[in-house]
Amino acid sequence: MLKLPPFSYNLRSLWVRKSATLLTMVGIGATVAVLAGVLALQQGFASLYTTGGRSDVVMFLRPGATSEGESGFRRETAEILKKNIPEIAIDGEGRPLASGELYLAVRREKLDGGETNVPIRGVEPMSFAIAGDAMQVLEGRHFEAGTDEVIVGQALVDRIKDCQVGRTILINTTPFKVVGVFDYSGPFRSEVWGDAARMSEALQRPGFSRVVARLKPGTNLKVMTERLKNDKQTPSKVLDEQTYLSSQTMALSVTLYALGVFLALVMGTAAVFAGTNTMLAAISARSHEIGVLLAIGFRPFSIFLSFMFEAVVLGLLGGLAGCLMVIPLNGLRTGTTNFQTFTEVAFAFSVTPRILVISVGFACILGLLGGLIPAWSAASRDPVDALRRG
Amino acid sequence: MPWTLLFKNMFSHPFRTLLTMGSLIVAVFLLCFLRASLVALEAGVAGASSNRLMVQSAVSLFVDLPLSYQGKIENVDGVAGTCKLQWFGGIYRDPSNFFAQFAVDADRFAAAYPEVELTQGSHEDFKATRTGCIIGEDLAKRFGWKIGDTIPLQGTIFPRTDGLPWELTVSGIYKAKTANVDNQTLWFHHAYLDEALVAGQATGPRGVGVYVVALDRGASVERVASQIEDLFRNGPQRVQGTTEAEFQRQFVSMLGSVPTFLGSIGGGVLFAILFAVLNTMLLTARERTHDLGVMKALGFSDAIAFWLLLGESLLVCVIGGGLGVALAWGTQGPLGAGLKQLIPTYVIGQETVLEGLALAVALGFLAGIIPAWQASRLDVVEALRAEI
Repeated sequence: MLKLPPFSYNLRSLWVRKSATLLTMVGIGATVAVLAGVLALQQGFASLYTTGGRSDVVMFLRPGATSEGESGFRRETAEILKKNIPEIAIDGEGRPLASGELYLAVRREKLDGGETNVPIRGVEPMSFAIAGDAMQVLEGRHFEAGTDEVIVGQALVDRIKDCQVGRTILINTTPFKVVGVFDYSGPFRSEVWGDAARMSEALQRPGFSRVVARLKPGTNLKVMTERLKNDKQTPSKVLDEQTYLSSQTMALSVTLYALGVFLALVMGTAAVFAGTNTMLAAISARSHEIGVLLAIGFRPFSIFLSFMFEAVVLGLLGGLAGCLMVIPLNGLRTGTTNFQTFTEVAFAFSVTPRILVISVGFACILGLLGGLIPAWSAASRDPVDALRRG
Repeated sequence: MPWTLLFKNMFSHPFRTLLTMGSLIVAVFLLCFLRASLVALEAGVAGASSNRLMVQSAVSLFVDLPLSYQGKIENVDGVAGTCKLQWFGGIYRDPSNFFAQFAVDADRFAAAYPEVELTQGSHEDFKATRTGCIIGEDLAKRFGWKIGDTIPLQGTIFPRTDGLPWELTVSGIYKAKTANVDNQTLWFHHAYLDEALVAGQATGPRGVGVYVVALDRGASVERVASQIEDLFRNGPQRVQGTTEAEFQRQFVSMLGSVPTFLGSIGGGVLFAILFAVLNTMLLTARERTHDLGVMKALGFSDAIAFWLLLGESLLVCVIGGGLGVALAWGTQGPLGAGLKQLIPTYVIGQETVLEGLALAVALGFLAGIIPAWQASRLDVVEALRAEI
């Protein structure tokens, strides 16, 4: 059985050298906080798109289109799609649960200055039946079909000019009155919704961008996709909502991940150097103590483990400090343009437990790497020489 | 000032000094990288021509203007010429091969974009070939395209009805003289696109996203812009005329919080490195206590003690920071190539270099000032009594 110096020896050593411990902690903490911050941003963005998607809701896009913005159907084509597909579920009154939607990102001014692209969605009444309970009006009321009224997504209210109940937004040359604020899953929260026919006229855009529908339970999506791809009358691209939403977020998500990893590696290197320095100094100041430990019979390997333990504790403390720095970011709202759709999406930093665990783990690894050389140098000392010094 | 002592001190713990410099190199490199990324993201704005007006829909970035607008715009006083600019959005083999493609007036393009200089091929050839296109040299390098090669592009906004890709022939390869045009764009005949749409060989909106308007020498940008806006105030599509700089800025402003975000990361890096260097300097100062006591006893002044420590901190930071800047400078080639997709014009400019060095000096000063001050106030008797 290997006999180790008591752990309290290491803990007290860290305590005695308070200022050095604290400075190293903050250094490791800042490194970890940057990593956790980037991951929290990525998480916030990704959850926006992945939690909203439903697998029984599908959309029909024009063949070749990669997003709603690129897609388009003539009115007649949309009508055929809505009525002639047997897989589409039926509501209580025998009508298919399918709806044509017009989608366009329009220029809007941000409240804090600058311009951005806000998606406008002209919908038919059936869109609400497809959305179901997931969509809720938080303030005001639904718009009335056939009128120049709109409702705005909750995420727009404190970001975009005139997106508040009672205000009027100008779309091309037509004024629309904002009558309500709604909440809905995912990126829909950053949209303006109004009557499809009225929007179509205001924007001078005939037809629809997509048809959205709810499927009967047990539908084989693959078979249906294949059939519609080669359909003579209404060829179209069919995607379930989940697949579509995640395809729209891939690029930004991957970019954020890559950025996080790159920063963590580069800053981690610097933190390991700094950690090594702190531990080296700690050990050179304790040369005498190490000599005593060796003289009273502790094996060099025990000394090595003991100092590694100290380094990991230092890393752990740094990791906890980093978590403390990053937790206040949780819920902080921010926004950027998703360049796959060129539209603005608002989302919040999401510091999940998983991110915290990753961060603390990363900090411990930094401590471990930083402790390697110093612990080795402590363990390989000659007891007589160590006792003589200091 | 005992310079030899300063250098000897600096390397009294060579391993420690190297580690400190190592973390400085890394940190300053990272700061230069972040800074250069930010500069690059705004590069389009910086290089923009002030003599060029971009006329686009006032309603949406995705709405086209009617073809009939071109003649009306050309009749406005002060307009020297126009050129259509239509985003094509085609895919070369796989969506991950993304690059920008624009349909333009082939016969007016050279006049509208004088900064696009052909290094191979000719504008005459481009004009004469209906399926011709001009590509940037980086794009040519990326896919190995040469003059005369055929580029197949699958239409997304403008799919061909036969389901096949559009085929364009390379007539010219360009290198832009200013940063507002990147070297990865493809320009082809708007007439070719429009004819196919009219003939029903392809589907998609018939129109023009942007009219690029060149102004007469001395014409007021604001006046011409407002005259063009007034022409179409009552529809069918309202337009907005902006300078090229503002036009580019709308894409930068779309980045939203990204610049702030990169800035905060930079702040985090600085914070971490400051503490690391400060820590080392405090350690150093403590170890020097005895030495400094001896020096003071021998009659060296407090100021010398002060400068010995501050000087060491500055020297370590400037050497480390300088190497960091050099690293950023040296790696800009490969890093730029790797980031082509994300940040097309990643370069470490002179400003970034100067900022990197200034930061290194500031770090050295901040980290050194407290230990230096303590050293200057050191009491001789106390210092001599100190163990280490």
